[in-house]
Amino acid sequence: MYGEGYSNLPSEKTIRNFATVYKAKDTLNGNIYAVKKIKLGTRQETADGINRTALREIKLLQELHHPNIIGLVDVFGQKSNVSLVFDFMETDLEIVIRDTSIVLTPPHIKSYIVQTLKGLEYLHTHWILHRDMKPNNLLINHEGVLKVGDFGLAKFFGSPNRVYTHQVVTRWYRCPELLFGARNYGTGVDIWAVGCILAELLLRVPFLPGDTDLDQLSRIFQALGTPSDADWPNMKDLPDFVRFKTFTGTPLKEIFIAAPDDLLELLKSMLAMDPLKRCTSTEVSGEASLDVITTRTHVIIIKTCVIIIRIGP
Amino acid sequence: MFIKGSGACSECGTALRRSNFRLQLFEDPYIEKEIDIRKMILKDFNKKEEDFTSLKDYNDYLEMVESIIYNLTNNIDVESTKKQIEFYKKDNKDLIKKNKSKLSKDEEYLEMLIQQEKQESEVQRQLLQEDEARQKNMKLKNKETLIDELMFSEMSAADIMASHRELTKVTDTSSTLPKKATTEFSTGIKMGVQDTYIPLSKVETGELYKYEPVEVFMCGPKFLSEEELAILGYLNHVRGASNPDRGGGYRSVMACQRALQDSYCGLYYFPDSGAAS
Repeated sequence: MYGEGYSNLPSEKTIRNFATVYKAKDTLNGNIYAVKKIKLGTRQETADGINRTALREIKLLQELHHPNIIGLVDVFGQKSNVSLVFDFMETDLEIVIRDTSIVLTPPHIKSYIVQTLKGLEYLHTHWILHRDMKPNNLLINHEGVLKVGDFGLAKFFGSPNRVYTHQVVTRWYRCPELLFGARNYGTGVDIWAVGCILAELLLRVPFLPGDTDLDQLSRIFQALGTPSDADWPNMKDLPDFVRFKTFTGTPLKEIFIAAPDDLLELLKSMLAMDPLKRCTSTEVSGEASLDVITTRTHVIIIKTCVIIIRIGP
Repeated sequence: MFIKGSGACSECGTALRRSNFRLQLFEDPYIEKEIDIRKMILKDFNKKEEDFTSLKDYNDYLEMVESIIYNLTNNIDVESTKKQIEFYKKDNKDLIKKNKSKLSKDEEYLEMLIQQEKQESEVQRQLLQEDEARQKNMKLKNKETLIDELMFSEMSAADIMASHRELTKVTDTSSTLPKKATTEFSTGIKMGVQDTYIPLSKVETGELYKYEPVEVFMCGPKFLSEEELAILGYLNHVRGASNPDRGGGYRSVMACQRALQDSYCGLYYFPDSGAAS
C-alpha cells in the first residue's frame, strides 16, 4: 500500500503535538484508518533524524500483533513526511470515564481492565514496558474492543546494566518507585498505572491527582498508608528516597464505597507499594475474580460517545 | 513565584501559599476584611432565635456578635476578644454542631417560597402559551367567516363588517376570562417538573471470560521457569540485583530469562530448501 492508497476525510482531523491525525479511507478496500502524519519541521530540527517517539512506535508496533494492542497497518513516506496507518478507534477510555451519562457497572469495569491487562501481558511477555499507561491511551473502537495505544515511551526491559530514566508515565499514574527515582525497574510500573485506572473507573475522577512529584507521593501515602521498611525492604536504597510522615491510610472500602469486594482485592494487589510484591498482568488476568465479560454492552455505550479519532500522543 | 504552589515573599521572606490567596471582591479592603471576619465568626456563633427564651436575650446576643466582629476588624482588644470566642466555643460546643446541620426557620420558609414561585411562573407561562394559540385560531376563523359572508351573504358589505367588528370584540374579552379560572384550577398540580428517572442500562452478560495464556512463538528450545533458572545455576552468570534495583522492582531473573530467550529464539529455524534456492 502506498500514500496514494488513502483518501483523506478532511472534516475529521486532530492536530497533536508533533503529529496530525487524519481519518482516512483505504481506496482499495474501503476500510477506515487513522493516519498519523509526523511533522518533520525544519531542516535544523530534522538534523537528528525523525522524532524518537515516532521511531519507537514504528519499531515496536510493526512486530506486535494482539487484539488488545493498537495495530500498525502501514508506514509510508511521502515527500519529507512519514505517516503511520493505525486501526481506526472511535474513542478512548478517558472520554468514557468523563461522560457521566454513561453508567459503568462492575462488569464493564472488569471487561475494560481485563482487556487492558491482556494487552499488557502480551507486551510484558515480550519484554516491553509501555511506560505511559493512562485512560487517554486506552483506545476503544466501535465494537467496544479496548486496545493499548501510544508507544512513544515504550521500551525493552530486563537489561541488567542499562540505566532507565525514571521520568516516565504521566504523574498521576506514576508508581512510588519511579517517584523515588528508581533507575532499573520492571513490569510493576505499568501495573501500578492500571491500578490507578481501575480506581478512576470506580470513582469517575482521577484517583491521585498530584500537583508535583512530592505531592504525588504524599497523596499516595495518605490514601494507601506510608509503607514501613518491612512493607518495602529496599525502599530506602532508592536514589531519591525521602522519609515521609507516617500516614495510616484509609481503608479502600471507605474510598470506594460502591465497589464490589473482588475489585477492591484486585486494586489492593495492583497498588502494592513494593514493586516486587505487586501482582503481574498474568496473575491478574488469570484470576478467577474477573469472570464476566460483556462485550455487547460496550457497543451500546460507545454509541452514545462523541466520535473522535485519537491515536498516539 | 507560585510555580510550585508556594514560595517566599520576595521582600520579607515570609512563606506564602497560593491557596491562601484569592481575588478581592469589594473595592474597599476594609469591607473585604470585615466580611471575611463576619463569615468566620458566624460559623461558630450560629444560634437561632428559637434558642433564646426572650427577644431581649436574642438581641443581646446579636449585639455581642456585632461587637466581636467590630473589635476584630478594627484591631481593638484582639487578644481578649479571641479569648471570648474560645470561651463561647467551648461553652456551646454541642449547640454549634447541631445548628450547623439544620436550616433556620427563615431559610426553610425562603426555600419553600422559591419553590412555590417557580411552580407558579411555570403554570403562568403554560397558560399564556395556550391562550395565545387559542386567540390565533379564533382570529383565523373570524377572518374566514368574514370572507365567506362577504362572498355569499346578501347583506351589504358595510353591515357585515360592522357585525363582525362586534363579534370579534366579544371573543377578545371572552378569551381573557377563562384564564383566571384555569390558574385556580391547576395550582395544585406540579407542572414543569419532569420525572428525572434514568433507566439503568441493562447488564447483558456475554460469554464468561476465560484466561488463555499468551503463546510466545519461539521457534527454539522451550525456555526455563524461574525456579529452574535458580536451581540449575543459571543465575550465577548474571549480575545480581543490587538493593536499589530490588527497590525498583528489578530482579536478576528478569535479565537471565530475557538473555536466554533472546539466544534461544529462532534456533530451530531452517529456511526450507525450496525458498533458499
